[in-house]
Amino acid sequence: MLTFVLRRLVLSVVVLFVACSASFCFFATHYEPLRGVPLPHAYWQWLRGLATGRSFTHGIVFGPFGGQVVDSLERTLALLALTLVFVAVFASLLGCLAAATRGSALDLLLRIGSYAAWAVPAFLLGLVLQQTLGKIAGGPGLGLFPPAGWAGQCPGGLGIDLHTFRCPAAGTGIAFVGQVLYHLTLPAVALAGGFVGLHSRYLRASLVDSLAAPYVTVARAKGLPERTVLLRHALRNSLIAFVPAVLTDFGAIFGASLAVDWVFRLGGLGGLFVGVLNVQSTSPVLDTYAVEVLLLIGGAGVLLASLLGELAIGFLDPRVRLG
Amino acid sequence: MTAAAPSGAAPVPDAEAPLAGSRTASSRAARRLLRQPVTIASAVVLTAIFAFGAFVPRLAPQGWNSIDLSARWRNHPPVLSGWHLFGTDNIGRDVLVRTLYALHTSEQTALLAALFATVLGVAIGGAAGYAGGWSDAVLMRAADLIGTFPALMLLLAAYVFLQPVTVARATLVFALYLWIPVARIVRANVASLRESEFVQAARSLGASDLRILVRHLLPNATGTIVVAATSLLGQVIMLEATVEFFGLGVSSQIQPTLGNLIGDVTQGGIGPFSPIGLGWWTWACPAALLVVVLVCANLLGDGVDAALRPASPR
Repeated sequence: MLTFVLRRLVLSVVVLFVACSASFCFFATHYEPLRGVPLPHAYWQWLRGLATGRSFTHGIVFGPFGGQVVDSLERTLALLALTLVFVAVFASLLGCLAAATRGSALDLLLRIGSYAAWAVPAFLLGLVLQQTLGKIAGGPGLGLFPPAGWAGQCPGGLGIDLHTFRCPAAGTGIAFVGQVLYHLTLPAVALAGGFVGLHSRYLRASLVDSLAAPYVTVARAKGLPERTVLLRHALRNSLIAFVPAVLTDFGAIFGASLAVDWVFRLGGLGGLFVGVLNVQSTSPVLDTYAVEVLLLIGGAGVLLASLLGELAIGFLDPRVRLG
Repeated sequence: MTAAAPSGAAPVPDAEAPLAGSRTASSRAARRLLRQPVTIASAVVLTAIFAFGAFVPRLAPQGWNSIDLSARWRNHPPVLSGWHLFGTDNIGRDVLVRTLYALHTSEQTALLAALFATVLGVAIGGAAGYAGGWSDAVLMRAADLIGTFPALMLLLAAYVFLQPVTVARATLVFALYLWIPVARIVRANVASLRESEFVQAARSLGASDLRILVRHLLPNATGTIVVAATSLLGQVIMLEATVEFFGLGVSSQIQPTLGNLIGDVTQGGIGPFSPIGLGWWTWACPAALLVVVLVCANLLGDGVDAALRPASPR
């Protein structure tokens, strides 16, 4: 197991390094601050910076940006963590419910709901939630959640207290955690919606297969109640497929989180990436170092999640663990 | 992948009913498909929408950029009786007409990109799977390298490079990105059958490599290719809408697409509360159409998957 993990890790690092080098050479030869510099020299400078860590923290256009990257990474990770909790809880709940009532009207309703949820892009669900549940001055929103921004921040005046015209304080300790969760709820729901639909459907299909297996008949013949059969016997087996499926979807969840982060102005990696890419202007200037760091974070996240997915299979499936 | 086709999730239980009297694999698959009313219905709806979208430039009474100059019809909410059924935007352009033209553009991108990606994926995956050895390794590692980064990051970076993005460039980007899943599936299929008896028989009869690949190996992969191509359709529409939502892709000044019409509401500096006064109807109309198209595309993809790749072969 350990050699397997080590081999996968080394391979992932090599793949990441080659992919980042290739994209660095592309950006360096096409965008302004480095276009005039001979490529071998620019690449060597960047490689040396990788060794000292300077390439990760200092851009050539923006100057030091390390703190900003760490900040954004924290916010995106918080969003992803809350989303994963939502996906795990609601997908397994709805999947079990649909499998337990398979063939009924509720099952059909859940299936329709899952297809509808999967067809709504995360950015669109975010936009709708923001406009309907967010607190917008003069808007149609119900005002249950802040429409945008992070705890203690009101980008563009969104989410200010309409009585005092001040941005609510971030607070410290428990209050800060509460504020963060309050600001993250809508984005996480928007991001989780589609994946709850998709994975509850996968889980239902897998549970229905499990429930037809001989060991379930044995469990029923023992006289176990149907609930125990479903949760202890069938679900346990179906989780072997469910957990890795969620983890290998990480790339898609991460990509969608960029859009959601941008809609809700959370100040995470999405906003930073769009800012670094210098979207609105057509100038041929690009901070190649900053782009590479963000691409590296995205690629590392995807590779790590796929590795975790394979480890989860080994952990959950005794046949793999013992074999 | 954003819209991976679920495997083993048969939308209709009676897909596993006994199929008496069927001969060939394709006729069995066609029968399984015809027994899924949901799949048939979504195929019909999707075809109807796409057929209508294809003829929009001939059907719509005015162009996507024509402006109603009367003061009454500026930023007007939807009215059920009246000339502008779904309202007008902030400079008096009809929302319904713009949405239909957006459908025309988006469907063109989706269909062409899915077609090109499938052709490219079949060619590369087939060649890699049949050749094996180091050319196989090089092609598939190249696919791995592109697949390392999250799709949205790669597409955003590509779109920045390709500014100003036109419909043709967007189609090209999606085709050049989405061949990877098709190539992986075709490669696996071809590589698994390369050493089988019927291939050896063809080879011993003197068939060329190209003939073996095209006449013997690829027909065996038809089912998986069709499944992959169908699921690409939904992926292109979803990814294109997301990238254009960032205000990066095809600009609504050049050509309206479903994504950039929704994205227009976030342009203007401070997020989705545009100071230039676009009403909710300007993005709700294209958003509703986008969701309907995506639901149909996903249902069709799942139905085709269940029909062409049954869990247990009969």
